[in-house]
Parts: sequence; C-alpha cells; structure tokens
Amino acid sequence: MASAVVRLAGRLRSCARLVNTRPMSSATSAAGSTEAALDTVEPEHKDITITVDEKMDISSFTGVPDEHIKTRTVRIFVPAANAMQSGTFNPRRWRMEFDERQRWENPLMGWSSTGDPLSNTEVNFMSKEDAIAFCEKNGWDWFIEAEKKPTPKRKSYGANFSWDKRTRRSTK
Amino acid sequence: MLSAVCKSLVSSTARQLRAFHRPAAACSDKLFVHRDEPNNNSETPFEFSAENIKRSEVIIANYPKGHEAAACIPLLDLAQRQNDGWLPISAMHRVAEMLKMPRMRVYEVATFYTMFNREPVGKYFVQICTTTPCMLGGVGSDVILEAIKENLGIGVGHTTDDNMFTLAEVECLGACVNAPMVQINDDYYEDLTVDDMHRILNDIKAGKKPKAGPQSGQNFRFASEPKTGLTSLTEPPTGPGFGVRADL
Amino acid sequence: MLRLWPLRQISRLQNAISLTQQACNKSSVPAPSPELVEVFVDDKQVFVEPGTTVLQACAAAGVEIPRFCYHDRLSIAGNCRMCLVEVERSAKPVASCAMPVMKGMKVKTDSPVTRKAREGVMEFLLVNHPLDCPICDQGGECDLQDQSMAFGSDRSRFTDNAFTGKRAVEDKNIGPLIKTIMTRCIHCTRCIRFASEIAGVEDLGTSGRGTEMQVGTYVEKMFKSEMSGNVIDLCPVGALTSKPYAFTARPWENRRIESVDVMDAVGSNIVVCMRSNEVMRILPRLNEDINEEWISDKTRFAYDGLKRQRLTTPFVRSGTGELVPADWESAFVKIAERVNATDGDLIAGVAGGQVDAEALIALKDMLNRLGSESVCTEEKFPMTNSGIDFRSNYIMNTTISGIEESDLILLVGTNPRLEAPLVNARIRKTWINSDLCVTVLGAPVDLSYDYQYLGDSFELLTDILNDKHPLAKGLKEASKPMIILGSAVLQGENSGAILDTVKSLSEKLRAGSEQEDWKVFNVLHTQANQVGALDLGYAPGVDAMKGSKPSVLFLLGADAGTVKREDLYENALVVYIGHHGDYGAQIADVVLPAAAYTEKDAVYVNTEGRAQIGRQAVSPPGMARQDWKIIRALSEMLGVTLPYDKLSDVRARLGEVSPTFNHAGQVEDAGFFNLSDSATVPRKESRPAVQPLSPALLSLRDFYMTDPISRASLTMAKCVQAVDDAEKNPYSKPEQS
Repeated sequence: MASAVVRLAGRLRSCARLVNTRPMSSATSAAGSTEAALDTVEPEHKDITITVDEKMDISSFTGVPDEHIKTRTVRIFVPAANAMQSGTFNPRRWRMEFDERQRWENPLMGWSSTGDPLSNTEVNFMSKEDAIAFCEKNGWDWFIEAEKKPTPKRKSYGANFSWDKRTRRSTK
Repeated sequence: MLSAVCKSLVSSTARQLRAFHRPAAACSDKLFVHRDEPNNNSETPFEFSAENIKRSEVIIANYPKGHEAAACIPLLDLAQRQNDGWLPISAMHRVAEMLKMPRMRVYEVATFYTMFNREPVGKYFVQICTTTPCMLGGVGSDVILEAIKENLGIGVGHTTDDNMFTLAEVECLGACVNAPMVQINDDYYEDLTVDDMHRILNDIKAGKKPKAGPQSGQNFRFASEPKTGLTSLTEPPTGPGFGVRADL
Repeated sequence: MLRLWPLRQISRLQNAISLTQQACNKSSVPAPSPELVEVFVDDKQVFVEPGTTVLQACAAAGVEIPRFCYHDRLSIAGNCRMCLVEVERSAKPVASCAMPVMKGMKVKTDSPVTRKAREGVMEFLLVNHPLDCPICDQGGECDLQDQSMAFGSDRSRFTDNAFTGKRAVEDKNIGPLIKTIMTRCIHCTRCIRFASEIAGVEDLGTSGRGTEMQVGTYVEKMFKSEMSGNVIDLCPVGALTSKPYAFTARPWENRRIESVDVMDAVGSNIVVCMRSNEVMRILPRLNEDINEEWISDKTRFAYDGLKRQRLTTPFVRSGTGELVPADWESAFVKIAERVNATDGDLIAGVAGGQVDAEALIALKDMLNRLGSESVCTEEKFPMTNSGIDFRSNYIMNTTISGIEESDLILLVGTNPRLEAPLVNARIRKTWINSDLCVTVLGAPVDLSYDYQYLGDSFELLTDILNDKHPLAKGLKEASKPMIILGSAVLQGENSGAILDTVKSLSEKLRAGSEQEDWKVFNVLHTQANQVGALDLGYAPGVDAMKGSKPSVLFLLGADAGTVKREDLYENALVVYIGHHGDYGAQIADVVLPAAAYTEKDAVYVNTEGRAQIGRQAVSPPGMARQDWKIIRALSEMLGVTLPYDKLSDVRARLGEVSPTFNHAGQVEDAGFFNLSDSATVPRKESRPAVQPLSPALLSLRDFYMTDPISRASLTMAKCVQAVDDAEKNPYSKPEQS
C-alpha cells in the first residue's frame, strides 16, 4: 500500500530521498517494477481504478530469493538520536532493518564483507503503517519497536538560584 | 660580492628560522592548575588561629543557615592574611571543610579572584597598577615600575632573595585620579614620583612605615582634590539657617 | 553544595514527610489547568505552558535552536550564547535557553539579527578553538563542526597566521576512561553540571577566569564516578573523548545497532557501534522509562572484554585432564554418550545471570524432555511463603520511572549506586526535584544524595514492621512510599526472613495506602536476566540441585562459582555453554562456545519485568554459535529434538510460557497482589539472628568487575587500578560533607 525509496548504501545515495507515501491509486515507485503496472493508469481511467482491500503479497514475483523472504525478520523502528550530538534529525522517520547476518573483514582491503544482499538496505518511511504495509507486501516477518520520545520537562533558570530547594546549583 | 653572498645566506637562514612551534601567549603569570610543591601541598600545615576561628564564626553567622558558602571569600581572605599573604592548598581545604563546601568550589573562588595569592609572596607585596590612567597620569607608571625594579633588583612576578618584597603588575586598583600608584600590602601609595617610590621602599627596608596616601608628586594633596588647589567649595561651610528666610 | 542542606536534613524526617503529605494533599485537589501561553515562532503560532523557555517553545514549533551549553537534562547555564534569537520589541538578541516565554512573544529564529548573532558567537568560539578536526575523535559527530557549517561565517577573519594568540590549555588526567584535550574546550560547562547534578560528584569545575579559564579538577585527580563516561557524550566538542575508543574509528564508518545492555539488571538501552565485525564502542540510547540518556561506565567501556578470553572453539577434556580443542560433532558425541546413559533425574542445568531468554527456554525444554526438572539459576531467591510463585514478589513493581512519583524510599540491603547506577541516578534526580526522603537499611555508603541511615540489623526491619521504629510512622504517612530490596541480601542464609518481613511491611503499606495502584514492594536485581529466568520457571539457587548430586550438569553461562565439582556426582560430566573462559569453563568437561550479548538477537527481562530485545551487532567469534542454536542442535543429538527452528519459533514458545515476552519494551503488570498478600504469612515467632543487611558492592572498586565480560576487560582493569591509585592520592580522599 505504500512506496518508498530503497536506498542501497553507496550506490543510490545521491538520489536517495524520502518519498511521501500516497494512496495506491497515485503511488509512485522508484524501486519495484511490480507497482509500475498499477501506476500506469491513464488519467482518464482513474475513476475506474479498482482498489483491492485484501492483503497484497508480491513476494512470489519480486525475484527476491525465497531464502531472503522466509527466513528474514524486519525490525521497524525510529532510529535513535546520536547521543554525542544535540541534533534531532535522525529520529524523524521510521526505518526498517533486517536481522544481522555474518560479516567478516575482507582480507584484501580490511573492509567489512557480508554475504547478505539485504544487509545494506536502508528504507525510510513516514509512518510505521507504511513500513508494515511494505513488509507485508514483501512477505517479511516484522516487529515494531515502540518509538522512544523524550518527555519535555519544564525548566527555569531561576531554579538554579532557588532559596530552599535542592535545585539550587553550586555551579552557576 | 662576498657581502652579497653573506646577505643572501643570512636572509635565507633567517627565512628558514621561522618558528616551528611557539607556545601560546600567556595572559597571566599564574598557573591555573595546582602542582604540589614542597611548601604547598595537601600536607602543608594550616590551621586558623583561635582568634580567626572566632572571627570566621562571626562572618559565617552573617549569612543564612544553609548558605554558609557565601562566606567563602572572607574566610579565604582571613586565611591568606593569617598565612603571610598567600593561600596554600591546605588552607583552601580547611575553608571548604568549615563551610561544608566541595573543595572544587573553593578552588574555583580562589583561582577566580586575583587577590588570592596561591603561591608564597614576600612580606611586602608590591602591586603596581599599569592600567592606562596610571600609565598616563603623573609621571606615568612605566618609570615607577622601573624604579621599583631598580630599587629591589627584581622583575615583575619575582620575590627578593630575602623574601621581603614581591612585585606584581596589576590592573586598575581604582585610584586613577591619583595616578600613578602602587599598593603595598593593604596600603595605597598614590601620586608617586620616582623619588617617592625609592623613599617608600627604602623606608620599608629600614623597618619604618611610610605614610600611605598621596605622596609628594601632587604636592601632598589630602585626597583627590585638583592639582592646582580647590576651585570650588573653598570657603568654610555655612552653618544651618543659611539662605533661609529671616522670618522663619 | 547540593547535598549540604542543613535545612533539608533528613534527620527531620517526620517534618519533611508531613510537609510532603500536605503538599500531596494540596495537589490531590484538581488544580485548574494552567492557561497556555500563545507564542509565535517565525510567525507560526504555538501554545505552550507558562514558564516554558523560548528554546523549548521553538522546539514545540519544530524549530531547532543551535546550542552548546544547554542540555535537556541539565540545569540551564546560559553561557555559550549560541541560542541567541531575535524577539520582537526586544532591544537585544535573547538567550533563548534561559528566557521564559511571555504572552504574544514573537520569536524570529531565522532573521538577519539572529543569524548575525549566531555568526558572531561562532566566530568568537572558533578564535580559540584549534583547527585539529582531522585528528579529533569528535570529528564527524561534533556539534561545533556542524553548527559552524550551518550557522558560522563562510570565511575567516582570523589573520594571526603565526599562531601567537590562540589559547592553549594543558590536558588533564582524570582517569583511564576520559581523554581530555582541553585546548578544544569551549567552556560550555556541561561536564561540570553533569558531575554536580547527575553524578553527584563535585570534582569538576572551572579554575581561573577570562581567557585563562580552564575546565578541570584544579588538582590532579580521577573523576571518580560510576557514570563518568557520559560526559564524553555531553561534550559538544572534542575536549572530552573516550580513551579506549581514541583513534580507532570514525562515526561514519560505524554501523549502529540498537541493543540492550546486560551489565546490570536495569537493561539500559544502548547503541552498539560496529565496524568489520568488531564492537568499536557503546553509546546510550534514549529511553525515558529506563536509562533516560545515560549509561554506566561498565556498560559503556566493558566492551573490550568481548575480545578477550573468548571461547572460539569447542573443548573436550582429555584423559589427562586437559581441555583440548575439538569440533562440534565430537563435543556433541561426547555429551550424547553420557546423557543417553544417564537417568533424567541425574541431569541438571544451571544458568548464569546474563543468559538470554531464548537460551534459557531452550535449555529448560531440552532438560524437561530428557526427564529432568532440575533447572536453576545461580542467583538465589528465598522460596519461603509464596516465594517466586507470584511475579510481584521478585520484580521492581513501581518501575524505574515510578521512582519520580515516590516521596519516601526505603533501601534495604542495596547500594543502588553500584548495583544499578541508573536507578540511583533516578533517585537522585527525584531527590533534587522534589522533597523525596531516602532512608537506608544496609551499609552507610555514599549514594550521592543525603539519606537517613538506620543501621544494618535485621531487628530494625521487624521494628519498622511492628511500629516500634519512628520510620514506621513516616512510611505510613508517606503517600507513595517505595521499599527497594537489594537481591544481594537475599543470597545469604535465612534470607527468607528478610524477604518475608519486607513483603509484609510493603503489603501493610499498600493496603493502608490511599493510592489505588501504587505498589510498594520492589526488588532490585543485579543480574541482567534473573527476572527472565524466574519468569520461565527456573528455580532460584543451586542448593536443591546440589542435593540431588547430578551426574550430568549443564552450565549455561554460569560463572559465579556457585557450583563446585565436589557438589556433583563423582565423575560427573559438566558441560559449559558460554562465551568466556571464566570459572564455568574451567570446571567443565565439555565446553561449547556461545555468543555474548552483542552477538545474538536475544530477549532480556530487566528488574522491572520489562522484556527487551537485544540485537545482534557482530557475529560470534570463531566456531562460536548462538546459545539457543547450540542447544537446539544438541537436542537433536540427544534424540529430543526441540520443536523450533527459527528465532520467531523460540519467541513464540517464550510467549507461551510467560506473557512477559509478548510485549517487548513494556512492563507486564504483575497482578495478583491480593493473592500474594494472603499467601504471605507474617512470621510471628522469633527469628534466628540474620547477618547484617549489607549490600555486596560497597566501593567503586567493586563496581568495575562483576561478570565474565567485565572481568576480561582491560579497560575495567585499568579502572580498578585507577581507583586503587586514587586511594593514595590525597586529593581524591572523600570529602566530609
């Protein structure tokens, strides 16, 4: 029901961007070829587009090997902000990641190698519903890790100087 | 020809003698970290005298309960006066203990205020102001500084061998109208000339106590009145009833 | 100074409590909701509570204000000036971090005035900041770097090419964890405020002033705190960086895996940074319910223990008594030969505290299929009365974030500062921001906040229960009292009496409380997955198992040394499944190399009873495999094949056994309080003398090495060394307070 830009690390980085998910009738797809058929509805025929509400599973014809559909679990989560920095750009969207497979250090260059074609997939979504829909469509097991938000606390500069509260600071 | 070669050699050497590394400019002759010295370490004996303990109790009592830390500066000052004008680190620890403050908070105060000396000073701590008004006023602080250096035979930041004098160059001490000035321990000597400076130092060396305040430089004025004498308020003050209607 | 408030001395417990009581009574009347203040941020209207700062209002409007000194969890300092914004009808730019909002305030976060102010601040900061980004460990995740790109000038007016004027500051030695390059410091004072407010260690400060100002300790001493590593995260520049991580990786090379920590029972959320199958460092991850955004030093720095003393191949003990490397098959065959010839009753399993739930259930299922019921944990828990029959008896019922609601905490036999630093940080936070009173039955250790020390004898506890102690009144009057019982005191003899008394006291308070759903009783565990093991039906303690003299024993990550060969049947076969060559591997006949916590997708249940999923970051070294897979493979050899092939099957099985595992990340509420009450019979008869209620960890030295991973860690060893050295340093002596 949703579309997203599949980002292959290093390959498509320059063109990677977030795509707003839209209803299927006007969906655009940058990654899949399967949705293209649904998308190329002529404008004048739009009114006769049939929306099928039942679960869609395209895993049988995406060309992804069975091994990478049946045995993979997707974690849908909001990436944590980097603890080293104050910026808040990371935790702004939902992301999916696959379970980790073996990696090893490549003896040639000392780089990290993996036999897992999905390990570098990084797909971002505007909402977790989109992410779930994407996983269902592709036949992956998924689970959601709840979003962790900071709870804003009211603060006051005056508390540093309060007369009889423990919030008085010795470092001012 | 030879001289040309020499010149080019000299200049090329000079060019190659660029500073590879130079330490950053220091803005203070003090260290802002503590280093243990034989005479300044955590074992250095320091204890307030009975009299000063009494004083410190009075000082602490000035502040509300729970805010004893406010007495940090006066207590450090008390400690410094008791300890020949400088604060060993053990004195800071003692003050922290008395005020129930973390030691670091006392270190912060003692390093922030330049009037706390964290290393030993001579019996007479000569502070000469070299800020602009003193530099320009009267004969100027430059010659006074030279006079002190000459008289004591030490440079800025140094202490005489007999531990009598320490010379420090400081920023404005707030006596600009009577420039130039030096502070020796708690006394201000103002309106200085080179002769005054020598006289004062020699008197101190001789064990005498020179008169503090303006010196001969501006004709022994009393305070900060104008050089040429008063220009107003010259007559004695009028009594009560001055300028009041006769019928009242 | 924070903890030096004679006004607030807890010796006046009664007063304080009655005060709190009044305050609580007042607050129980529904206060009129405060009128929201209307603020315009870049002409966008937002409504915020009065008293909110301009910076927070901007955040509510989705505008991020650059900042260096401001941090959400520290007090406001207002000294970096980077957050200056223009406010309409204000003569000067306003420091938004300290300025409270006012009605109708119009904030302009992107006006020429604002931009110029930021550019000016940036320029001043950079005048005295070295241009050493290429050799700086903060490079790539540096706030100063990013913000100078975003808000700084695009050209420099710095013409001092001879470098005569740049400030240079001497580096400080503050211990083996934090590397300081003080020339890079921009004096935001975040580290000082963290030390003073969160860690409760007033070691850091500023010395000197003006251009000579330095951040440091003034005297040379170690920054002695159990959570000192957090200042590395807080530092917006590269002045404080991680010593073990120094020059090893760049942030953009690292793959970040969000996982869960197992060094204590708090279950801190962490990010494991990995590069080419090696854990490079560990960072905290925000979770308001557990660790906020801090982690303890053991969590952060013990990772180098994952690379040492690892078991990378199976071992089988040869006839001469040596452990000889073997392959998986021969190791399995050796086990199968023995197990097939042994009666089910003589097979037993012991699990350590860091074992994940998947391995626990796999081992239990396998042993059950072999006809054994004898599976237990190394950590004990008294089985008197209702024992572990009710979940509420062995978890932290009020949860960690519940501490913030409490107004009176009684700590029994625990030193949370070392057993669970983040629980202690939460108590300290509550202590600072409210009138919380803390009382301690146990050891008079430094907890970083003031508390009333009652003593360490068991009689005091019974006195409190029987209203003979002044604290009984205080507990009764408190609106939300908490009793935290440390698991360390439950390890000794007669610990059942302690548990029963604390339980009875808690139930009495809970029954008498007006707060409907406030649960008083809490157990603070020290082992990462002890609650998970108890949830899965493991018996606590090895005593019962020893009684049966097993002839085949499976040690699953059991390294605490609770089982000795003498406890077993003569010539018993000991199989060790674990990741480090620690105690368990030494006594084993067959050693099966397993995965450490960064090497497996696994579930851990923390002391609150919160199941959390840890993620695999790297592959297990050598021939090591994930624990549950080893047991699954072994079960096939033993002819009792376990019915799960995939992780999701194991998870489903976990969910069958305990509903805890169905909701990862949430606390499964422990019900049946009333039932567990009725099952708890207060003991009336006189009890035999119980040993003092003293926690196991007393000084910081004990904190660093508590489990196989931290025992193998070089960094942790250096910390122990540094603490020992600090003992000799006159400046590191604890100050009287």
